[in-house]
Amino acid sequence: MSEERIHDLVIVGAGPAALTAAIYTTREDIDTVIYEKGVVGGLAAVTDIIDNYPGFSEGVRGLELADSLRKQAERFGAVINLGEVLAIKNQGKHKLLDTTDGDILAKTILIATGCDYKKTGVPGESEFYALGVHYCATCDGAFYRDKKLVVIGGGNSAVQESIFLTRFATHIDLLVRSTIKASDILQRELQSYIDSGKITVHLGVSPKEIVGDEQGVNKVVATNDQGEEVIFNTDGVFVFIGLKPNTSFLQSSLVSLDKFGFINTDANLETNIKGVFAAGDVRSGATMQIASASGEGATAALKIREYLEGRLHNPKIAELEVIP
Amino acid sequence: MVKNITIFTTNTCAYCQMVKKYLTAKNMGYEEVNLDDNPHRRAEAHALSGAMTVPVTVVTKTDDSKEVIVGYNLAKLAPAVN
Ligand SMILES: Cc1cc2nc3c(=O)[nH]c(=O)nc-3n(C[C@H](O)[C@H](O)[C@H](O)COP(=O)(O)OP(=O)(O)OC[C@H]3O[C@@H](n4cnc5c(N)ncnc54)[C@H](O)[C@@H]3O)c2cc1C
Repeated sequence: MSEERIHDLVIVGAGPAALTAAIYTTREDIDTVIYEKGVVGGLAAVTDIIDNYPGFSEGVRGLELADSLRKQAERFGAVINLGEVLAIKNQGKHKLLDTTDGDILAKTILIATGCDYKKTGVPGESEFYALGVHYCATCDGAFYRDKKLVVIGGGNSAVQESIFLTRFATHIDLLVRSTIKASDILQRELQSYIDSGKITVHLGVSPKEIVGDEQGVNKVVATNDQGEEVIFNTDGVFVFIGLKPNTSFLQSSLVSLDKFGFINTDANLETNIKGVFAAGDVRSGATMQIASASGEGATAALKIREYLEGRLHNPKIAELEVIP
Repeated sequence: MVKNITIFTTNTCAYCQMVKKYLTAKNMGYEEVNLDDNPHRRAEAHALSGAMTVPVTVVTKTDDSKEVIVGYNLAKLAPAVN
């Protein structure tokens, strides 16, 4: 055990859900420690411009929003540790978190670990990772100035990131397995790039193999909906085919997951384990937006406060509370 | 012992910010090469890391040996600078 102290709350992840929760809990003097294995700000930090987060009439850069959320949480005393939570164990009154910095104890846990990019699984994808196959446009797009790209996917992320990548690439082939599923507003924006010849959309096309040599990727072999082979010559491939929940660290925890691996919660955002809550994209039924992740973070924080005060599972006290 | 540290970054790269924050928290100075401002140095970053990604952190030791860390990878960065 690296630390004997029992924290009121340990939050796993430091995306918008976690940071919002921490703003609420630390303002109420609930001792809150956050663990983040990647980027503080989560997926919001790796998004170029966020146009639909309320309060920013002209949109806001993802990095800027992430930084403000972090500063706001730290202003009230949230402690952000850069490390990964490897497992959690319910020890009745307390919970134990196994982290890369050692074990830590908590009265409550908020799981706000969001999602990670799915992989296509086609040959060449892992071999050429970071050598022509990428999952983060804001990180790696700059390497493709004046080059040709293939983007795989047809949802909001694929369309949004293809548009971002036109800053660098001369042309983008967008390979969509079925039809474009992005929002109407993004589809309208996409149309202007199609009209200007910057992006070509190929519907009904699935990648079969990513091919390259020691210089990097040079083509994507795909099949169309007639089963014919189609070849796209390219300098790089960005994959945005959806997200999978970051819940593998919960395997031995008995936290209930749905069939896709998202965390089941009740109306209080509490899991089947008392004192363990979940919020944001990792929660079954989440709407996968920053505003809703933040909203869930706030709700979870208020429910955690009730839990710590002994009210959440004591209907008598809760009932008395609502009588004016 | 660390002699100097160079980080290759871009303006939009969140993982680059994490590397910079980590080094700042450790009171370690570094030189930043922003590839958006210095596109001619992209090939150098690529040659050092073998990858088309940022951040690339080059830790030069006092004996002039170099350790190159690709991406934001605390498991590699922490021992390289400590
Ligand atoms: C390309 C793209 C564009 C998007 N654009 C928009 C947009 O314009 N508007 C909008 O509202 N939404 C957008 N979204 C969705 C939005 O980013 C997410 O809904 C939001 O970030 C979810 O917040 P979260 O806090 O639930 O999870 P995340 O932001 O995913 O944060 C979870 C954090 O937990 C960390 N973590 C995971 N496992 C562990 C562990 N075991 N230990 C420690 N840390 C861990 C992760 O590293 C991550 O930082 C976009 C998403 C993508 C991918």
